[in-house]
Amino acid sequence: MKINPQSFFGFCANHAPLLRALAECGGEISEAEAMRLIRANPGVGEELPETAWRRLRELQILVPTEPGSEMLFMADPVARLLMYLFNEANPATPEMIRGYVLSLETIGKRLARALDEEDVQHVKLAFEEISQTLRRIHADLDETQHAILGEVARYKTERARVSVREKYQRIVHWMERYVEPMIEIVRADGPLRAAFDETERLLHRAREEALFNDHPALTRNLRFLRLLASHGLRVFTQCRKEIQPLYESLRRSSFIAEGAARALDKLQTDGLSKWGNEYLISIAVSRFQNVPGDAAIVSALRRVIEHPPEPPPVLEFSIEEEDPGALLRLMWLDSLPDLVRADLPVEDLLNWLVTKQPDRDTSDVLAGFGGLVFHRDFHAAFTEQTPRVYQTRDGEIKASPLTLTST
Amino acid sequence: MNEVPHLTTLFDRLKRGYHLGPDDEPEFSVLCARFDEYASYFAAIGLVLVRHEREFFYFEPENPETVPETLPRIAVFSYIIIDHAANQGRPMEEFIFGQNFLVAALPHFTLDRYTALLRQVEVHDMQDLKTLLKHMERIGWIKFLGEDEFRFLRPFHRVFSKCLEVAHAAQGGVGGGAESHDPSAADNRSFAAPTVTNA
Repeated sequence: MKINPQSFFGFCANHAPLLRALAECGGEISEAEAMRLIRANPGVGEELPETAWRRLRELQILVPTEPGSEMLFMADPVARLLMYLFNEANPATPEMIRGYVLSLETIGKRLARALDEEDVQHVKLAFEEISQTLRRIHADLDETQHAILGEVARYKTERARVSVREKYQRIVHWMERYVEPMIEIVRADGPLRAAFDETERLLHRAREEALFNDHPALTRNLRFLRLLASHGLRVFTQCRKEIQPLYESLRRSSFIAEGAARALDKLQTDGLSKWGNEYLISIAVSRFQNVPGDAAIVSALRRVIEHPPEPPPVLEFSIEEEDPGALLRLMWLDSLPDLVRADLPVEDLLNWLVTKQPDRDTSDVLAGFGGLVFHRDFHAAFTEQTPRVYQTRDGEIKASPLTLTST
Repeated sequence: MNEVPHLTTLFDRLKRGYHLGPDDEPEFSVLCARFDEYASYFAAIGLVLVRHEREFFYFEPENPETVPETLPRIAVFSYIIIDHAANQGRPMEEFIFGQNFLVAALPHFTLDRYTALLRQVEVHDMQDLKTLLKHMERIGWIKFLGEDEFRFLRPFHRVFSKCLEVAHAAQGGVGGGAESHDPSAADNRSFAAPTVTNA
């Protein structure tokens, strides 16, 4: 059914908020939902909701999903028009761009055949098709960039409570669904550039073979081809630059959140006893070693407290009847340096000892001899005289004479 | 080796599990400037001084036979605040380090699930929570700004590292090349040694 443009735009002019609300709804909509939106967004002037509802269907702004269906959706041309008017963008999918590439390749083949056959009419048709496809590619690339930037801006300003995980999944979706595959297509050695190069070659051939005489249009198309090739790559490289920091940040946050969620889930499921140390963050704590435990301290205290009292030991102080032999010997040895000092220099120390101390046995004589030889105040030196025998109280000693002098 | 400054203070704090960050001047600046000297000094007595890539310092924990009961409490508390942050939809670091927190406004008793998890580690009410926070202050992870207000300090990154480690392990430790976007890979590269799993 034909629609009167004046009526259509007249209705639209009076119901802009309603149209926007319907467009934002997206998808299928019931009559009840549509009436709710009509009441929430009244048109200019007095108008019953039922009238607005009827006009929406008459003007084919809302159309049934299938004949006889009670569910409706916004007609595609109207949705596109509103999207344009409200400056909103729908991203082109990589498949759509690949479709254009395929289309260019097919047209290229037709153009090549027309050039071979010198068929001017088909050359002209192919040229028009190429122009149209290039304009669509340009528009779709721009719209995709617009959509991606809009999405990034929404992430940054979104106040609604959306979990990090969900945000991350959405941004990954954009990154993996649109940005990366698009870059694959539009990069310098990608399929889009290859199709463009081939198209450019054919257009040059058409000009050289004089089969297409609209030279300004040909030049425009050639210029557009080159512009589009570099534009496409720049657009999606910029998109990646825009989205990458957000992607990285959300990816990290998402991993952190996942780790925490897993740890809590494990605790909830298995309980603390089976939680395991791998979820704990260890911290250095200095520990003392070999410290007595509480039990040992209690035991020691108990032994002290429970120890039976007993009198202190008594020391007996009395005069010993026997001489302390060892002490006397030590005192004698200590007195020797003073005794010998008076007789220095001594020509034969051993002889001096056995002469001055005839009561001393061999052991005492040798002890006294050793003490004097190594005494710091004296200097001892063996002579080269023939060894002689010295008599002690209990034996004899054979030795060369040794002199002792003061140091 | 020449005597390094603040040695007694540093040793005294680090051996108790304290994490030294930018809030701990002048020790922090000295540690940054002369890290190798301190590390060698402590290595001689068997202690490993760790410099975290986010620029804070702590002693590498040993492997005691028994786990102090505060560790599970700190872990559960930390995981809950991260879980809550994730639900808010804001980048984690921005949420944790970009604001001050009121003890009374913490999310730990707002959900039955959180309450049940805390109960498992003997944290039953706000008073227990505050005691736990005081402990976290003693190890340099948070700083009280008043009776009821606190903020997280840089060493709380150890919790993030642990989360990344858990997430990475759950994924079978795949990926994580040098150019990978997987942040767990980057963190795990430097954290693997210091972040021993059993406290």
